[in-house]
Amino acid sequence: MKDRLGLGTWLLAVVAVTLVHEPWLLAGALAGVLLASGSGRAALLWRALRLVLPILLVISVGYVAMAWLRGELSVAYLWLVNLRVVLLAVLTSWMVRDVRLERALQGCPGALRWLSIVRSQVTVFRRLAGEYRAAVLSRSTVPPTLAQRYRAGATLGLAALDKAMYNSEALTQGMRSRGALDD
Amino acid sequence: MHIPDGLIAPQAYLPAAALAVPLWVLAARRLRAVLGDELLPRLAVFTALAFLLSALMLPLPGGTSGHAIGVGLLALVFGPWIAFLSYTLVLLLQAVVVGAGGITSLPVNALAMGFVGAWVTVGLFAGLRRVHETAAVLVAVWLGVMVSALLLALVLGAQPWLAQAPDGTPRFFPFGPAVTVPALLVPHAFIAAGEAALTLLVWRHARKRRWLAEAG
Repeated sequence: MKDRLGLGTWLLAVVAVTLVHEPWLLAGALAGVLLASGSGRAALLWRALRLVLPILLVISVGYVAMAWLRGELSVAYLWLVNLRVVLLAVLTSWMVRDVRLERALQGCPGALRWLSIVRSQVTVFRRLAGEYRAAVLSRSTVPPTLAQRYRAGATLGLAALDKAMYNSEALTQGMRSRGALDD
Repeated sequence: MHIPDGLIAPQAYLPAAALAVPLWVLAARRLRAVLGDELLPRLAVFTALAFLLSALMLPLPGGTSGHAIGVGLLALVFGPWIAFLSYTLVLLLQAVVVGAGGITSLPVNALAMGFVGAWVTVGLFAGLRRVHETAAVLVAVWLGVMVSALLLALVLGAQPWLAQAPDGTPRFFPFGPAVTVPALLVPHAFIAAGEAALTLLVWRHARKRRWLAEAG
């Protein structure tokens, strides 16, 4: 219940933040969110900043350069866009850290099964990608050429398609034999 | 390529959501009609596959690389509806599990890359394959990525016009289409070329194994 409430609150908060256009309100909300997020708030802020800092830098520097050339620089806009994007990123990072999606999806067996399968399969595919990359690196001491890198990428893509076809069949049969598809 | 939260105004993401939701329902219904009770496990595996494909590094000249999108490959091999739905679910997963991308920008990203990208690729391939199959794959995937990038550039470029303060300063993304269109299209011309080459290599093998559009 707590997790479902957390997920719903996050969704509402994200939409609400996009309706606020006052930098001081967004700054207050950001301070409030960081205070409410409890211990580990510095790590939370850092995680959020790592996700949005590159794009915010590009936008801010680009805006300053263009606005300066036109003579219409608005510092309020810079605060507004930076605070809004950072606040949204902090809210999302907080949700990712504290909301257990499996618990939030209790009562939706289809969504829960989908999430469980996706998570397990993402692990499988990540491992496959890691193994293929390691194999490419192990074959030669010199960096691969562009053509070799393409062939390696295509081989990985093909192996992933192969695995997806096989795993989807195996999972379907496994779920069917256990009655999981009869709900 | 996808847009994070906070840069798209509600004037853009709400209509996009109103357009995307019926398309998601339609895609799910069509796939259920084809796959029946196999929809859930297949969709889950293809979502994970799309997750991998969207993280696949595209080698670019000069030792650099970019990220593939993977929609073209999914659309050519499994069909546009499963590509659209799988890619949407990847974006959702990235937003709620990884915290990347965004939930308000999800409909715009899903429509531009998942829906339009997949249908442009499949439509062009169907139209051009009689002329030259290899060229059809390359052109279809390249244009699929470029049309998606153009759409996102236009949506981003419309933000200063859609949402601005009374004094004319923007409230969301600050640059108009004169900046966003070249900023997105120029790098994506190279990324799309890499993606087209990679897709062709994989697609040839998929065709040999008779997987094409097997899943709907």
